[in-house]
Amino acid sequence: MGFAGNVEPCFILPTVVAVNDSFLNQPRTSNKSNWMTQYSAGVMADLDFFVGDEALSKSRSSSSYNLQYPIKNGQVENWDAMERFWQQCIFNYLRCDPEDHYFLLTESPLTPPESREYTGEIMFETFNVPGLYIAVQPVLALAAGYTTSKCELTGVVVDVGDGATHVVPVAEGYVIGSSIKSIPISGKDVTLFVQQLMRERGENVPPEDSFEVARQVKEMYCYTCSDIVKEFNKHDKDPSKYIKHWKGVKPKTGAPYSCDIGYERFLGPEVFFNPEIYNSDFTTPLPAVIDKCIQTAPIDTRRALYKNIVLSGGSTMFKDFHRRLQRDLKKIVDARVQASEARLGGEIKVSVSLVFVVHFCADGSLAPWRAHVLILPLVPTIGSQRSQPSHSEICSMVWRISACFNSRVLYVVASIDMHNPSRFKQACHTKAEYEEYGASICRTNPVFKGMY
Amino acid sequence: MILLQSQSKYLLQVLTNRLQNLDKGVELDCQWIEFNDVRFNVQVSMKNPHILLLSLSLPTPPPEAMFVGGLPVGAIEAIKATYGTIVQILDPPKDSYNLTLKLNFNKLPSNEEAKQAFLAKIASVREVVLGAPLRIVLKHLASRSVAPDMDRVVALVHRPDESFFLLPQPDKVTVIYPMRFKDSTDTVLATSFLQEFLEARRSAALSNAPLCQWSPSPPQELQGVPEEALSANAGFVSFVIYPRHVDGKKLDRTVWNLSTFHAYVNYHVKCSEGFMHTRMRRRVESLIEALDHAKSDLEQGRKVETRTSFKRLKGPIHPYRRHKAIQSGLVYFDYTGTGHGDGS
Repeated sequence: MGFAGNVEPCFILPTVVAVNDSFLNQPRTSNKSNWMTQYSAGVMADLDFFVGDEALSKSRSSSSYNLQYPIKNGQVENWDAMERFWQQCIFNYLRCDPEDHYFLLTESPLTPPESREYTGEIMFETFNVPGLYIAVQPVLALAAGYTTSKCELTGVVVDVGDGATHVVPVAEGYVIGSSIKSIPISGKDVTLFVQQLMRERGENVPPEDSFEVARQVKEMYCYTCSDIVKEFNKHDKDPSKYIKHWKGVKPKTGAPYSCDIGYERFLGPEVFFNPEIYNSDFTTPLPAVIDKCIQTAPIDTRRALYKNIVLSGGSTMFKDFHRRLQRDLKKIVDARVQASEARLGGEIKVSVSLVFVVHFCADGSLAPWRAHVLILPLVPTIGSQRSQPSHSEICSMVWRISACFNSRVLYVVASIDMHNPSRFKQACHTKAEYEEYGASICRTNPVFKGMY
Repeated sequence: MILLQSQSKYLLQVLTNRLQNLDKGVELDCQWIEFNDVRFNVQVSMKNPHILLLSLSLPTPPPEAMFVGGLPVGAIEAIKATYGTIVQILDPPKDSYNLTLKLNFNKLPSNEEAKQAFLAKIASVREVVLGAPLRIVLKHLASRSVAPDMDRVVALVHRPDESFFLLPQPDKVTVIYPMRFKDSTDTVLATSFLQEFLEARRSAALSNAPLCQWSPSPPQELQGVPEEALSANAGFVSFVIYPRHVDGKKLDRTVWNLSTFHAYVNYHVKCSEGFMHTRMRRRVESLIEALDHAKSDLEQGRKVETRTSFKRLKGPIHPYRRHKAIQSGLVYFDYTGTGHGDGS
């Protein structure tokens, strides 16, 4: 969460609330004085909770706090906890008066409209926000790649996070819900695979540390190769160039150890392109899933979708991941085009000029910060000239985030400075609209009202 | 969390981060707002990674408040006294800000704990700058005197175009806040919250706390203050501060608590709204349970074959509206499975 106009979010918190339940389980009595103490205890319990990292450390140090995770699989399950989480975010972390800020929240693409309505009710009724916009993460990811020269909000967002992988087609800013595809392979599986490879080779890594080492190996050394067999040959011919060394300290004894990092450098990311090497249940490679996803989308959007494929999430940051994806996808499409040409017997020449543009973007939930030039021109004279963070910076940021969140959806609170007129404000639902029409206005959030 | 802390969490985080990676040059330029009145900006350049520029923009003062050169009275002296030579005040400040401080990381104390303590002090810069005039008055109270050049009623800014008032006397200082809220619900809740506040003060455990009073109309002491400054929709709160509340270490806390009283009330109003919503949700759940019991009896009596049950919609619908709907007998429930309630 953070304020608009900054390059980075102010705070990154896991969505977790630690509640003190010890007050609630006291036996009920009819005694008047006892009722009074119970009442005040209830009031105190209402304020006795922590969120984020504080919550995690509290629950570890004391047994009277219970952890509640308000969001499960991207959907809000516990609204009490969610409301408390927001309350702390606004008053304790951002320390702003919600009445004077426009808010941007992000949600996962599969959120039902009712949940959006409810979010709107809490934001408008409890916090009295003047304006609210609930953005879908993939759309924000698209918007983050948006520049003034290229204004389109149509594309496929490939979001490979630490715990989940989604392929989401977006047409003109609207998510095509029926074509969303999910894959059971994600960043965590890459880590597990690297761990497994290192263990099977008998590397000298202490078992209690091996997952953490594998994660760091993944983040620092893994890359995508163009061809597995060639890559094996390369490694075998010139091991000194390709094999890296890892030095660490055993957590328990403090003794130093070192190990080699070999084939797992390119085999890790390979699970996306050849899933059968990791998992025998799911064997469709990522490019095929993307192709299938586009093929199920409405026919008039497909060409535009092929043109704009946006990678988002930490696990797309492997070197040359986008090149490999682009090449494999092109192969699939070319094969289909040739087949249709053969079928038609050369009578009609199918002209194919599909240009694949695969590009990077930060995590969707981070997108408000990447996109600030677009949606939140802060102070027009200064803000719009600000340089974007470099690629490596984003990489490290996204890694940090994916590691923190384990795919739990982050609800971003970006509050926008009241004094700055911006296009974003036009897209928001305002409090006046809420009072006039009710919570149903939050069901749809048109992208950039008034731009088309 | 009952009381608001005086350190800005984000500023402290930025400072600690800088301290840990001092040798790494980072371009940093970020801004944020606190309680809607103070705007912060932090800048670090690649060239001088050990220099950090911190700019503050303060709330626009109402005409009756005392301001010298865009800063509260005594702010500059307070900054010098608290931060010493490590922090320099730049003149003129950065564009559109009232105050720019230059912090030199190389001059920080070498002791690790002292370093942290100093950064924490910088993070509470708001207390130092905005609370400066209040601190002067309370310091005089601690020595049981009145600053010679003070008026009878002192107005201090605490929100944009709003001020609260001090009546300094040798043995006590009366602090009076006109409370204003934008939203009508908030106004009602804040009024009852403040009345509760008085009730709580009367209990024996708090007999040493400052005397506190609430009245819907401006108290007698504020005669002679311009009319516009006295329009408040949630009444007036006054505290009487005695020397025992400001001696020694208590002074800092008193200054902070008094200068952010409005934010404190606002925070608790929102908290109580959240609390009420939780209660309403629980009540709705119990009512639905009761309805469910009634329904299944009915069904058994009539031998209806299709079994449907009242089921709470997953999540949505504000508990407040739901509660009203149940009271007025409106149907607000959905049969399981179908989306439109026509499923029996």
